[in-house]
Amino acid sequence: MIEIKDLAKTFAYDKKEAKKKKKGKIVTDPREGEGVFHAVKDVSFNCKPGEVLGLLGPNGAGKTTTLRMLSTALQPTAGQILINGHDVTKEPRYAQKQIGFLSGKTGLYHRLSVRENVAYFGRMHGLSRQQIDERIEKIFTMLDMHSFAGKRADDLSTGMMQRASIARAVIHEPKVLVFDEPTTGLDVISAKTVLDFIQSYKGSEMAVIFSTHHLHEVEKLCDRVCLIDLGETKFFGPTKEFAASTASGSLYDAFLASVNKKEVA
Amino acid sequence: MWLVYKKELLEILRDKKTLIFSILLPTLIFPVLFFAIGKFTANKTEEAENKEIKVAFISSESLPGFADLFTREKGFIKVELESDDFQSAILDKKVDYIFEVPEGATLPSNSQKQEVLKVYSKESTKLDNILGKRVDDVVEAFNNTQRMELGRNFDLTTENVKAFNKPILLEENNFATQREKIGEFAGPMLAYLLIALAVSGAMYPALELGVGEKERGTLETLLLTPMSKGQIVMAKFGVIFTASFFTVIVTLLSYLFWVWIFSLFAMDSSVAADPDSLTGKQSGGGLDFLSNISSLDLLLVAVLLVPLTSIFASVMLSASIYAKNMKEAQAYMSPIFMIGFMPVIVAFVPGMELNVKTAMIPVTNVALAMKDLIKGTVDYGLITILLVSTAALAGGLLYWTTVFFKKEKVLFRS
Repeated sequence: MIEIKDLAKTFAYDKKEAKKKKKGKIVTDPREGEGVFHAVKDVSFNCKPGEVLGLLGPNGAGKTTTLRMLSTALQPTAGQILINGHDVTKEPRYAQKQIGFLSGKTGLYHRLSVRENVAYFGRMHGLSRQQIDERIEKIFTMLDMHSFAGKRADDLSTGMMQRASIARAVIHEPKVLVFDEPTTGLDVISAKTVLDFIQSYKGSEMAVIFSTHHLHEVEKLCDRVCLIDLGETKFFGPTKEFAASTASGSLYDAFLASVNKKEVA
Repeated sequence: MWLVYKKELLEILRDKKTLIFSILLPTLIFPVLFFAIGKFTANKTEEAENKEIKVAFISSESLPGFADLFTREKGFIKVELESDDFQSAILDKKVDYIFEVPEGATLPSNSQKQEVLKVYSKESTKLDNILGKRVDDVVEAFNNTQRMELGRNFDLTTENVKAFNKPILLEENNFATQREKIGEFAGPMLAYLLIALAVSGAMYPALELGVGEKERGTLETLLLTPMSKGQIVMAKFGVIFTASFFTVIVTLLSYLFWVWIFSLFAMDSSVAADPDSLTGKQSGGGLDFLSNISSLDLLLVAVLLVPLTSIFASVMLSASIYAKNMKEAQAYMSPIFMIGFMPVIVAFVPGMELNVKTAMIPVTNVALAMKDLIKGTVDYGLITILLVSTAALAGGLLYWTTVFFKKEKVLFRS
């Protein structure tokens, strides 16, 4: 169970940037303050085991910053993140063991083979060689990866790379899976692999947070959605309820109606 | 931490570029280049020493014996000028030296006056200077005959003439050892080479492990593992240090190996080794010189490089982590290289020597100490001061790199 309460993150501009901003005097984002930028102002949501939660929002809304705080890469300025009741900021090691993270940007070590990449992250999570071998066998079978397990990562196709990245993200059998725009830049077949994988975790004991711009993927996979815009939660609830908030009943219309119009334009 | 260290090392070793820069260049290409350049220089010098010099004389009949001395000397050939255009004749290489004797000139031994001759030539290169010296030697021989003749005219003995010529003659008794003399030249060379390699050896792994990881998206993945940021940065530092230090040590060992090989070759070719000469021709002397350097001194050269390499590894890793992309990181590396190398140049400014003050100047101190170690004139007390001060700086920089690596603004700079 993940609980995010009143989360906030403020970045201080360095002197040069602050001077530049002050000189320009054009405030392009209401989150800009005196020498600071409130990337996330007030975000709250939760995600239960077996659930796939869709995280929506336009570019720059604060989704990635929120997920980075959840995964311990960034420290929140305010608010709380709990994983199974454990505070992420106070127990980062616990959180890191519970979370599997995958984004469209996270890469693999190019000069290591797929198997070496996955095993390396298994070792980083403290797994024994035997545990790693067993889990690799299971995951590689599930994702049909045995044919390219010995290939170096720089020789992989995009689809193979994404499957290897999934394997890397789940080798330690996390209880929380965070997908940050994992299908961005993928072809239809590669994207389907990722989506099928997420689908396979529905109803399991794993909580899945799925950030995406593709609303059809959300409709297909997500039980609930959280819409973030300008660093704040604008909607959090069942996907159907969000879609029904407009006359057309379409998720697309509901999204457009909820977000900052300037941003969408 | 060892897990990250081993993985990073494995990746670096699988990279062909690293292998070329860290192993192939220092073990094969550099030594072969150095010795090839040495051989080429020696050949060119020999060529200049044996070259036939074309000389021409204007009105030399008034100085009997002057022109004859040149024609009798091996390696000189007298030519006749076709025109009065001396410049064209020299630039067209029809003649190398033209001696113009003024009208009314007589032998100084007869006139008891100095005669001024004009000499035309084109001396612009070091090889031309060698030719010039050969000409000067012949002129000096002529002057000697004139001195002796003048002496006879004034009823002077040979000893009197010698006293006139050089009232005081210094007979040199230099107590500097062969190691000191060669070390004065070889010490700075070795310091330049090893420090340059320490810097360049750290550069490529630093780029790979810092901004390279950022660009590939693997750094963020690494940060999400239960490994602490401090451990991650220490592992990365360890790999950069290892790569840089390895490059330097391999270079040092390969240099010793190649000196040995070339010494064998030189001996086989029956090349006489002149212990006082510093030119490449006498490469057989290289081993003699090296054999005078104790194992402790060679070990100390390597030990000096430990804190020095740590300094460069820390600075370059910080710059690489700070950079947004590879292009920005590379822009930082060139000034770091230049700034890092400047103190080495300062170290070999005449008058600079290792003392309590200079032992605390980073990089300069190591360069000076290397020179003294090679020359065999090192003060081991100063080496201790140097090691303590450099290790303190290296430790400080490493701590700063660790703090730097923990900053969100650095890791997620965009």
